[in-house]
Amino acid sequence: MAMTPEQAVEANALVGKGRSPWSDARRRFFRNKAALVGLAILGFVVVFALFGNFFAQWSNEELDYNVMGQVAELGGPSFASGHYFGTDDLGRDLFARTVQGTQISLAVGLVGALIACIIGTLYGAIAGYVGGRTDNIMMRLVDIFMAVPYMFVLILLLVMYGRSITILFAGIGVISWMEMARIVRGQTLTIKGREFVEAARATGVSAPVIILRHIVPNLLGVIAVYATLLVPLMILTESFISFLGLGVQEPLTSLGALISEGAGTIAYGTTWQLGFPLLFFCLTLFGLFFVGDGLRDALDPKDR
Amino acid sequence: MFTYILKRLAIAIPTLLLLIVISFVLMHSAPGGPFTSERELPPQVLANLNAKYGLDDPLWRQIVNYVWGIVSEFDFGPSFVYKDRTVNEIIAQGFPITLTYGLLSFAVAVIVGASLGVAAAMRHNSLLDYAAVGVSIGAQVLPNFVMAPILVLVFTLWLSWLPGGGWQGPEYWIMPVIALSTSFMASIARITRSSMLEVLTSNHIRTARAKGLPERQVILRHALKPAMLPVISYLGPAFVAMITGSVVVDIYFSTGGIGKAFVDSALNRDYAVMMGVTILMGALTIFFNLVVDILYGWIDPKIRY
Repeated sequence: MAMTPEQAVEANALVGKGRSPWSDARRRFFRNKAALVGLAILGFVVVFALFGNFFAQWSNEELDYNVMGQVAELGGPSFASGHYFGTDDLGRDLFARTVQGTQISLAVGLVGALIACIIGTLYGAIAGYVGGRTDNIMMRLVDIFMAVPYMFVLILLLVMYGRSITILFAGIGVISWMEMARIVRGQTLTIKGREFVEAARATGVSAPVIILRHIVPNLLGVIAVYATLLVPLMILTESFISFLGLGVQEPLTSLGALISEGAGTIAYGTTWQLGFPLLFFCLTLFGLFFVGDGLRDALDPKDR
Repeated sequence: MFTYILKRLAIAIPTLLLLIVISFVLMHSAPGGPFTSERELPPQVLANLNAKYGLDDPLWRQIVNYVWGIVSEFDFGPSFVYKDRTVNEIIAQGFPITLTYGLLSFAVAVIVGASLGVAAAMRHNSLLDYAAVGVSIGAQVLPNFVMAPILVLVFTLWLSWLPGGGWQGPEYWIMPVIALSTSFMASIARITRSSMLEVLTSNHIRTARAKGLPERQVILRHALKPAMLPVISYLGPAFVAMITGSVVVDIYFSTGGIGKAFVDSALNRDYAVMMGVTILMGALTIFFNLVVDILYGWIDPKIRY
């Protein structure tokens, strides 16, 4: 580290400009090389997902009748045919499919993490703020919930109510808020004793408003860190379910579903069908893990 | 200690009941019953089927009967799809296989992971350390469903060293075990390394070194035990994830374990088998968490019972 915090404060005093904790965090984040690499990888994946279709020569639903039946010989990656990543087993363009799969996987990650965050934050903040017996019961419940193997329950849910993407998105979020609730509760306990909360209570602000306006905003750093770390876990869960053929259904696809298809056909010598989805899956997770770790170091430096 | 175990049990039992109730209610609130199929059944046949399987009782009575069947006779009921088989038979067929490679994977992940972590911490900032860190970061993005096809591609299709699937002898165990254990091995290595590094700078290690103990003894007698605490608390979640991962192994390597029964029943809506497997997996998870908690309490004297 180039500067100790004291030196940094001094330097600031000389310039005469204050720095918010957020700008401090930003500086720490951009000094972290692994996090920057992660950010670059993630940026690439996001650009690929958003704008990849502008470069695709084929749509994700078109069948290329020239390669049909001879996918192993003719369907390989080539610029001449316009299939940059080759085709899948049915002759669909794998580039367009991978773009689509990346979109869905990223979306599942974001939506799932968002749902988990909202539930976890509210649950944890309420338990921590109210305290006493309510807190005790609420956290005991979390203990109990955490011991349930939710992957099985989620699959059960998907089978019962049809394998719709809405249930998948929501279900993944709904089963992963417990860790978040614990962290938020712990932080709430330290915040609720502070003077500004006392002041708010003294002026007659109601409990829900205190939780939403005074406690949750002060937790945003922690929430942001764990949200970023949740996204790759959501993507992993979704891919796992899709790999089993129980998740996203055709014509939609996700990276997990594409990996599953590719894994099923490797015996025919069509390795690209496994390779490209796998590459993007690993890149996405890599980027997210590194960015998440970087954010944790930047926003929560004492946690190391 | 005894009250501590009792307290943990007091959490474990409601958890299991909750799981049973959740899956039962889910199963019964589903649109269409287990006998809904493309071909419409005559109402009388449907009524008879429902009566035979006890599906016309009120929900609470069905739950009570179901739980009672499990508790008193360890009976998960009949399969809804295979008329001549009970859930118990289906589970008994696959469970030993799942248990075999599951326990093997668990042992490999813990032993290899912990040794790698300890070795990396002892040679801090050496080539070995960097290699271990690199491997464990890389393996983070290699969950079982990624490892499985890669292993088959390399060892079966390119090198032809190992059979690509089946369950006939020890050579069939290798790839499932590697696929299942890799990402956990990496996590365990990383956790062990960082906690070992922390322990190695603590006072009691300095004392042990100062009084002239050989390095081996310092590590094995004084550093290892406290360093393993975070690892042990990771074992619970790791075990759950491994149980879940066994589904992928069963599907991809055709090992014939219980995961196969689960996915098959999910695909042909055999609710009874699905519930049986879910509850069994849940019970295993809860039991294992209990063991971890007790182990934790036994190893760490700071935990008050």
